[in-house]
Order: sequence, then C-alpha cells, then structure tokens
Amino acid sequence: MQLELYQIIVPLVSIVFIGSLLQRFWAGKSGWQEAMVGVLFWVGVIFFAFFPDFISQTIAEVFGIKSNINAVIFFCLGLIFFFQYKLFLLFKQQQSALTTLTRKLALDDDEKRREQ
Amino acid sequence: MIDPKDILVVIPAYNEGTVIAEVVRRVRDEGYPHVLVINDGSTDQTREQAEQAGAIVVSHLVNRGAGAGAQTGIAYARKHQIAYIVQIDADGQHYPEDIRDLSQLMESEEADIVIGSRFMNPNKDIPVIRVVYNKLSNVFTNWFCTRWYSDTQSGFRMLNRTAIETIDLHIDGFGYCSEMIILGEKQGLKIAEVPIRVAYTAYSMSKGQDLYMGINTAMNILWKLVSHPK
Repeated sequence: MQLELYQIIVPLVSIVFIGSLLQRFWAGKSGWQEAMVGVLFWVGVIFFAFFPDFISQTIAEVFGIKSNINAVIFFCLGLIFFFQYKLFLLFKQQQSALTTLTRKLALDDDEKRREQ
Repeated sequence: MIDPKDILVVIPAYNEGTVIAEVVRRVRDEGYPHVLVINDGSTDQTREQAEQAGAIVVSHLVNRGAGAGAQTGIAYARKHQIAYIVQIDADGQHYPEDIRDLSQLMESEEADIVIGSRFMNPNKDIPVIRVVYNKLSNVFTNWFCTRWYSDTQSGFRMLNRTAIETIDLHIDGFGYCSEMIILGEKQGLKIAEVPIRVAYTAYSMSKGQDLYMGINTAMNILWKLVSHPK
C-alpha cells in the first residue's frame, strides 16, 4: 500500500490529539465519556485517512446512489457547516450575554454589601 | 514613585480555596493593602478564604473564565476610580515582590500597560511543555501586533488609568491575555515588558492551559477579531 503525504500527517496529528485527550482525562480535566467520544472521533479520522474511498463507496452502496456521490457529499457538508455556523453564532451571543449579566450581578451585589 | 496604596491588586480565582489566602497575604505583606479577588463561580472556600485574608471579594454567580474575571476587575476599577491595577494569578506562581518592578517601569517608560515577562528573566526555570505552548502562543498573538512581545500569555500585568478606561475585553477565557495586547496596540496604548520570576509547582501546573484549551483560545481570538474588530 503506497501512502500519500496526508495519510502520514493526518494520523500523526490525530495521535497527538488522542494523547492530549487521554492526558486531560488522567489529569481529571474531562470525564470518561468526553474522552471516549474524542478518541473514537480521532480513530475514525485515522481510519478514513488510510481508506479514503471506503466512505464514499459505502454511502453509495447503502443509499443506492451510484453517480454524483461527491456532489451529494459536498452539498451535505455545506449544509452542515452553514447550520454549525448559525449555532456557533447563537452560542457566542448567549455566552456574551451571560457574562455581561454575571458581571453586572457581581458588581451590584458588591455595591449592596457596601451599603449594608 | 507610584504609591502602593494607589494600586488595586486584582486576582481572578476559580476554586483556589487551598492557596488563595496565602496569595492574598503575600500581596498585603508586600505593602499593597488593596486586594480584589474576583471569585469566578467557585464551588469551594475561595470566597471565605480570600475575605479572611483581607481581600475585597466580588463573586460571579457562575464560572465565566479568566478573561471574564479580569474584565470584572477592570470594571470595578473604573467604577471606583482606581488609578492602577495589577493582575496576578491566583495559584501562587507569581512573586508579589515583582509588582515593584512593573510599577517602576510603568513610571519610567510612561507605559499604559506593563507585562511581566517570564522569558525575559535569564534565570527562568520553565517546564518544557509550557515553553513550547507559550512560544506558539507568542507567534500567534504577535502575528496581529506591530512589535514582538516575549510573553503574551503572562497573567502578571499592570494597567494605568488610561488602560483601565480603554480596555474592554470580550474573550471570557485565557485568550484575554492576547486580546488585551492586540486591543491595547490598536487603541494606541504604550505597552512595555519587564522580567518577572515564576514558581512552577505541581499545583500551578495543573491549573494552566493544555493543547485543547490552547486551540480553543486561538479560535476565540480569531472569532473576536472577526466579530469585534475594534
């Protein structure tokens, strides 16, 4: 099996991330569920790096789409990224509002304690 | 000479109940009577320990991150017309004795922000993993700056009144260190660096950033530059 450059780089990067995930787990910074999901994800990335044709062939066979499979995949990826961006934007706005509220409550509470 | 009584030492803290009292005492013993602990939603005895050690404590109801804590300190200083603030870490890795060096440089250089740099200290004894992480962070942060800063991730820094009035941090997490420098430069503040010492312990090492937090920090900085460019 002849390896392309990305088939070396992607697994190496994935291994670094797996190591980091395990380190976080051992240091008590993450739970076993988070660590397991993360490790499975990066193992999956390694798998697809080694067998890039496997995913498209499997999807084509499972859904019976024999042609234009790449177009379908890219369209779906585009949709996923779009909705991911919308979610991320909403998440950031909520985070910012929560911080502003937390800060105001903290400073107001300090003011009340001074007045007492 | 900046009067230590004009300086408010701000310590953002999250679950630092085992060390916060000692940190507050060391700062006060060094001649800085005004200490503000931002208790960032701690679930341990951080608030009680800090108050018993003589600090003013402002508490976030929920944990919002080091950057949110730092900005609450700035907001407090604005509200109470504080002339200078010094931010130090709550894990005890910084030496309060070094506040004098930051203060002297701020005055002599007429700087608005002084950063305590671990890497300018010739006797630095920093764990390799921290050196690698901080060097990468320096490259990333300095990419957006007009000059090179040797320790962009240092939590030990001093701000004067101009900086207190000018700086508005939007990043809640550790990315605030980079954000403050990038923002300060954009708004024309003078930023200087001075060598500091750091004591790395098993406790302080367990509190710092790791690879995932570093990537998250980088993403937050990029997002901040896109969403709040000024």
